[in-house]
Amino acid sequence: MKTPEAEIGRSFEVHSQTLPNGLEVLLVENPAIPAIAINATVLTGARYEPEDKAGLAIMASNLLDEGTTTRSSFDIAAAIEATGGHLETDASFERTVAAAMVLKQDAELGLELVADLLINPIFPEDYVAKEKSRTLAEIASAKDRPQVVAGWALNELIYGTHPLHRPAQGYPETIERITRDDLTTFHGRFFAPNNAILSVVGDFKIAEILSRIERQFGGWRTQAVSLPTIPKPVRQKERREKFISMAAQQSNIYLGHLGIERTNPDFYALQVLDTILGGGAGFTARIPQRLRDELGLAYTTFASITMTAGIDPGRFVAYIGTSPENTKLAIEGLLNEIRRIVDEPVSPEELQDAKDFLTGSFVFAFESSAQIARFLIQAKIYNLGFNYGEKYPSFIKAITAEDIARVAALYLDTENYTLTVSGPMEER
Amino acid sequence: MSVSVDSSTFSGDVVRRTVLDNGLTVLTRELHTSPIVTAMIWYRVGSRNEELGQTGKSHFLEHMLFKGTDRFKKGAIDLLTLKNGGNNNAFTSHDFTAYYFNFASDRWEIALDIEADRMVNCVFAPEEFEAEKKVVIEELRMGLDSPWGLLLQELDAAAYKVHPYRNPVIGWLQDVERATSAEQQDYYRRHYHPGNATLVLTGDFETDRVLDGVFEKFSAIPARPAPPAVAAFEPSQRGEKRLEVQWRSKVPRIGLAYHAPEIAHPDSYALQVLNLVLTEGKTSRLYQRLVEREQSVTFATAEYAEAKDPTLFHIRAEARGDHTADEIESSVYEELQRIVTDGATAQELDRAKHLVQAHFILSRERAVDQAMLLGQVETLYGLSYIETYLAKINGVTSEDVSSVCSRYLTAANRTVGYLIPDASTAASDDAEEGEYEDA
Repeated sequence: MKTPEAEIGRSFEVHSQTLPNGLEVLLVENPAIPAIAINATVLTGARYEPEDKAGLAIMASNLLDEGTTTRSSFDIAAAIEATGGHLETDASFERTVAAAMVLKQDAELGLELVADLLINPIFPEDYVAKEKSRTLAEIASAKDRPQVVAGWALNELIYGTHPLHRPAQGYPETIERITRDDLTTFHGRFFAPNNAILSVVGDFKIAEILSRIERQFGGWRTQAVSLPTIPKPVRQKERREKFISMAAQQSNIYLGHLGIERTNPDFYALQVLDTILGGGAGFTARIPQRLRDELGLAYTTFASITMTAGIDPGRFVAYIGTSPENTKLAIEGLLNEIRRIVDEPVSPEELQDAKDFLTGSFVFAFESSAQIARFLIQAKIYNLGFNYGEKYPSFIKAITAEDIARVAALYLDTENYTLTVSGPMEER
Repeated sequence: MSVSVDSSTFSGDVVRRTVLDNGLTVLTRELHTSPIVTAMIWYRVGSRNEELGQTGKSHFLEHMLFKGTDRFKKGAIDLLTLKNGGNNNAFTSHDFTAYYFNFASDRWEIALDIEADRMVNCVFAPEEFEAEKKVVIEELRMGLDSPWGLLLQELDAAAYKVHPYRNPVIGWLQDVERATSAEQQDYYRRHYHPGNATLVLTGDFETDRVLDGVFEKFSAIPARPAPPAVAAFEPSQRGEKRLEVQWRSKVPRIGLAYHAPEIAHPDSYALQVLNLVLTEGKTSRLYQRLVEREQSVTFATAEYAEAKDPTLFHIRAEARGDHTADEIESSVYEELQRIVTDGATAQELDRAKHLVQAHFILSRERAVDQAMLLGQVETLYGLSYIETYLAKINGVTSEDVSSVCSRYLTAANRTVGYLIPDASTAASDDAEEGEYEDA
């Protein structure tokens, strides 16, 4: 059977323009289906919220569509739902997004709604109260899931006082503290066209969509935005462990430590390492092959350091969910594989397979307009360049076994790591 | 290739349906927007075909199809997928088992090669079978750590008296533990053959070339007799059933299950519209009532999916604050009664129809989404379902919605399940966190 060598890069014609108010606009014509994907990203998120108001950024994003100066919560929902399109808002640690997917004929309405949500939200007092109570209930519900509980504990121990130690949705006590004033202040401070990127991808002509964008976003007023500097988190120099007792079917085990920023030049070598150690296609990587396929310890097990890389350093994480009696065996199994990739060179065949996988499957990241719209934002935030699709295969192809050995030694630590386990504890 | 039918389906897109002499149905649909091909094979076998005491067999079999043939040894399928920069997966439901590969468009032949081989040549080495059993049991346990996984499993088991839809697709733990490689192999022979399968190819290819490839790989596989039809029929329910499921959470959760008709039943379209009116979007009835006004739930949702045999219409919600499952339950019934009495408003009907139409366009952007739709419809009913679908949804009236609500969403036809705290929950407040070392 032949193994084709073809390069599957993907390039787009990106129209990039900054409106007079500072809003960066990125456009790609993609007439694959008669629809349009809109992604408006404000460069703020949970990393900028005060510690004692943890959860503020996500709450602000959830309330964007609960009332603006021009529409009630119900009117916003009725407007988008009448078209059959979707409108959603979300926040992470570094971004707040209002996104829409609409049919071609509803382009103007889609843009109008997204603009209205970002520019004119009023955070109505009654909706703030509702959102607080809903968030508290969601936190209570999430605590029922052993994997979530172990994941939260891992972040607390890895990040120390850095904002990423927190669950992005906050803690019950910080949610209680949030007021409408906090939300309007947060919005006033960070939501500005000169602190935002708008990408629109789909079935349109550039000139036509630009005039619609200018009409809907042109009135958004420029203002000085100063993004606070956040001290970098420090990698742990000792082992940290936490065991959380839950009456569950499985032990959920996370083992990890501080990872890398997305702009780290070793990102690509580490992507290859991830593919060999804990990712890739099916169960080809070492951790799933050994712990799932050979030992039958788990249905889900993986490891990655690049998956969470962002403005802040992400985490190196190895995960397994296993029967409680196998907890020790599973932890040893994860550690063995991490040690092995640090101590021994990867084989030429493993290396080549991982590289072929990454360059060959890259195309799947650009299949839909919404995916392309998200990519444009990422490309801007992390300075990847719009020709990233063409450059990517060469970044991956350049990686050698020596690179893998070097980055494994530099970024993985088999002594000073954090281990969190949730599940029945009587076996321990 | 004996029969070839051109089948013009949604929005003028052409899907070609070809049937090989050995009975294999092939659906092809060109899509040249991305250099990607999806190859998906659907078998008409799922948990509805399983015998008493052998539940979970279809799903376990799905796992075994990655465990080797003489040509593709254990691990080889994933390795080939890796080397070729693709991805693969598989899924099992009550009605079907499906496998797919996504590859860049210059390498779809690999998928055909693998699927043709493992349709008949899977080896079932006993040591592989026992090793994989452990993995399946971990998957089963993982499901039981999800509150909804557990509640819906128990709810469905109580709702049906007879029909195998009562069993979880993954099976009951005791059955999975006792499964044998011999039974598995026998089941495989009965259900995995060309006449019981549909191969779907969507994406960036030339149909004639792809069909040549299919013919080359699959035409030599011999036809086999059709598996016996599933003979179980669910008798009518004669009154409300209620159950409590104990679990380790203090958050009350409620699930309702109403017996409802199968795919393409004349009432199924109005029930789909009812589903959207009740819980789709923020303007929906249950969102407005439970999330907005009463603030009694974190979410409320309804599910009514196409199924081969009569199925269930589910409504479920998660309580918040001090609100109880009882309270939520009565509010749901009041909303259902309002629909029975007044039907849906013109605006609601309009919105639901727009949602369905837009979804048809917005959800078929990727090759894999199209293959999913075509394979599922062909397996459950036949492509004609798609051709008439939008017209049938468009024909639904307010009276239809109120009529199906009054006929199906009744007290006598429902099973009500509550998730309630178990004994461990009372103690868990104090013992929430164990030791903590910072060594």
